[in-house]
Amino acid sequence: MILSFSWFWTGLMALSSFAALAAQAPPPKVIAITGGKLLTVSHGTIDNGVLVMADGKIAAVGESGKVSVPPGAEIVDAKGMTVYPGLIDPESNFGLTEVSADQMSNDLIERSDEIMPHMHVYDAFHSETELIPVARLNGVTNAVVAPATDDTIAGQDIFIQLFGTDRDQMILGRDVALAMNYGAEQRRRGGRSGGGGGISREYPSTRMGLITQLRQTFLDVQDYVSKQEAAVKKGEKPKRDLKLEALIPYLKGERPVVIGVYEGYDVETIMGLAQEFRLKVILNHVTHSQEVLDKIAAWKVPVIVGSIYDFPRADQRFDAVYTLPAELAKRGVKIAISSADAGGPVSSHSARNLPYAAGCAVAYGLPYDDALKAITLNVAEMFGFGDKLGSLDVGKMANVVVANGDPLDVRTDVKQVYIQGVAVPMVSRQTRLRDEYSK
Amino acid sequence: MKQFHERLPQHRRLVLCLILISATTGAALNAQQAAAPQSDLVIRNATVMTASHGTIEHGAVWVHAGKIAGVGETVNAPASAVVVDAAGEWLTPGIIDPHSHSALDSDVNEATSPVTPSMHMIDAFDNRSADLYRALAGGVTTELLLHGSANMIGGQAVVIKNKFGLDRDGMLFPNAPGSIKFASGENPKRVYGSRDQLPSTRMGNFEVMRMAFEDAKHYMADWDAYNAKVAKGDKDAVAPKRDLKLEALADVLRGKLYVQIHCYRADEFLTEEAIAKEYGYKIRAFHHALEMYKVADKIAADQTAIATFSDWWGFKDEAWDAIPWNAVMSMRKGVRVALKSDSDDHIRRLNQEAGKMVHYGGATEDEAIRMVTLNPAWIIGVDDRTGSIDVGKDADLVLWNHDPLSTYARAQKVYIDGDLFFDSSLPGLGTTHFNGVMHDDGGFGGEDEAGEEDGQ
Repeated sequence: MILSFSWFWTGLMALSSFAALAAQAPPPKVIAITGGKLLTVSHGTIDNGVLVMADGKIAAVGESGKVSVPPGAEIVDAKGMTVYPGLIDPESNFGLTEVSADQMSNDLIERSDEIMPHMHVYDAFHSETELIPVARLNGVTNAVVAPATDDTIAGQDIFIQLFGTDRDQMILGRDVALAMNYGAEQRRRGGRSGGGGGISREYPSTRMGLITQLRQTFLDVQDYVSKQEAAVKKGEKPKRDLKLEALIPYLKGERPVVIGVYEGYDVETIMGLAQEFRLKVILNHVTHSQEVLDKIAAWKVPVIVGSIYDFPRADQRFDAVYTLPAELAKRGVKIAISSADAGGPVSSHSARNLPYAAGCAVAYGLPYDDALKAITLNVAEMFGFGDKLGSLDVGKMANVVVANGDPLDVRTDVKQVYIQGVAVPMVSRQTRLRDEYSK
Repeated sequence: MKQFHERLPQHRRLVLCLILISATTGAALNAQQAAAPQSDLVIRNATVMTASHGTIEHGAVWVHAGKIAGVGETVNAPASAVVVDAAGEWLTPGIIDPHSHSALDSDVNEATSPVTPSMHMIDAFDNRSADLYRALAGGVTTELLLHGSANMIGGQAVVIKNKFGLDRDGMLFPNAPGSIKFASGENPKRVYGSRDQLPSTRMGNFEVMRMAFEDAKHYMADWDAYNAKVAKGDKDAVAPKRDLKLEALADVLRGKLYVQIHCYRADEFLTEEAIAKEYGYKIRAFHHALEMYKVADKIAADQTAIATFSDWWGFKDEAWDAIPWNAVMSMRKGVRVALKSDSDDHIRRLNQEAGKMVHYGGATEDEAIRMVTLNPAWIIGVDDRTGSIDVGKDADLVLWNHDPLSTYARAQKVYIDGDLFFDSSLPGLGTTHFNGVMHDDGGFGGEDEAGEEDGQ
């Protein structure tokens, strides 16, 4: 082991629960990582670099010899290592699930209605989830947490830090985006469980129904806003409608709306609605939208590609989805890549594989730097954290990963993760089981 | 694409030279005489990962009549051989998936009884499924298509070679041993428990098996008695009725079927081994086997292999103690370890799942590549025919543009029995034998363990 991480092992390994570890982690101090290959994301690669972290932030970054290491700083020798910003997963369900099949551990989605903008992920987020340390061990330091996708308007996302003493410390942003979905999956509420392709008796059971319902909802919000304003002018105190109120910032374009949509024709339909109401759109999935990529580029909306492992249609070449990030990037679209496995709902049990999804995009034509950006800086920028996270730049939060090789390669082993300049103990429930049975 | 045509003359000289100076085997000479010009193939200058005897830098493999006829730094192929110069590429044995439910449409589980050993997956096999094509493009040449895990004793598997484009029978692995799928744990007890039927607990699960084997023993005894009478010349002997279910179970007890058991928990591996010993059959492999690291030394002694996920966990209670070091830890304690997909998604990148084992536990390259080639071949019982690059084996080979254990590897060419079935440099699908309409099994299916209602 090249790195000198011994200081935190002593005293910390004895503690039993990870929550306790988090609570008693040493306060941020000055740490200088020297001699590593720095992937800055924002300004290229520095082959032999120095990165200084102080007060939870990146204090200096540059070539060896050109960056002065403050006296008293702890030196971490990272020769032969690769140093890069913490990875950011643009779609996760951290803290909303524990054991997928155990419904009592799931707070993924409120299914009682299609229009649920007043569902706030922060109310369910379980910060002590065992999923977080597991993902963090592979270098994931931040994530967007979103509800599951059953509803056209599923709720509002949070942006989290994958380390901290409690929920409040780990949630960096509340209601950072509205989670919307459009397509076949959202139809036939109450009818799907009946199965068999029968005719649902519940509205909205078709795409026509979904879109009409959405349009009416946004019109209702506009009406609500004008009526509330009029009432306030008259000195009245009108009753608040939390559902409609929740949509106001999104109708004003103040915050992004993440629209999960797969098929090209669905993309066109939902973008029509989004433009009608001037929503600030981030498209999500688009894995069966190869025929509308030029339009997506023309709309100048960013795209979260995921899962890159979604299956192509049966008539398509095997790599029709693998090549999607490259095809979008080629057209100038700003992209992020998410961690999901093929097709199904997001499962953040697999979030530790986020870098490999980006690596897959590289294998199928995406330039390497774009791929790393798609799981770091681009995600930060899409969700309003571009000035704080996503690259190795002075002044940014010191979320830094040290690994023994290429971060996008499955063979690479992450040696140390720093979050806000703190060397996070590299333990999870899984490492504890490993160690217990390795004795 | 690195076709050799432009370099052919040069290579011909090399090959002739080799034939003259080396102690050529009779087989090589016969091949030269007997084979049609196109039936010999040489892939040279590749990094050859043999899976059985290490990696050969700048190695060559000679394929004759569908079999591997030579492997080494040089080979004694005839001058007429078609030569593929694979400089800068890697050559591995075909990837083998010992646990797939691909190409079975939604007919994975006959979940109407916890004991269904007379079901045969070949009856559901759809040879035009798009999942086969996508797996082929990921370098998969052999698959064990298993019954689902709803039943304690499920149906009998079919072994295929992924010769996508051939008819159904053309895709079967000739003379592969039979396997039967057993299950345990949450899936059977959930499926039948939710109907208020036996089993709804692990007690019920295992007792269902024991009762079935008692029936089978009785059935075998009836037949033994009948056969004894016939042998004695008793012309009045009445044959017992043939019962397909009991005959299949008898085949298990007679050791005619490899037993492949879906099983997660450490205690259940031990129970399964105890039942196997009680009734006198052997367990070929535990599948999933996520807690094997807890009891690996005991199971190693029973010579039962495992086919496990690389890093899936947490999807159900019995997957809560899954750790990604399971494969390597179990291997170090003497268990033969294969990685498997159980997924139409992951089957496309089993090579990367193997690469993860370098990360999780420090498997060597050899060990990692064996987990998706030779070891799954053993589980299926075809390791004498495929799974490594050795003379005499089927020429099931994959050429990769990059180290196959990395994230970046793409299968360039896939050969099965020496025949090219996929070539990524071709326009369109890249298939060489298929130009029809594929079947899409629909949705995102194929997974055993995505928490579906009836568990596959």
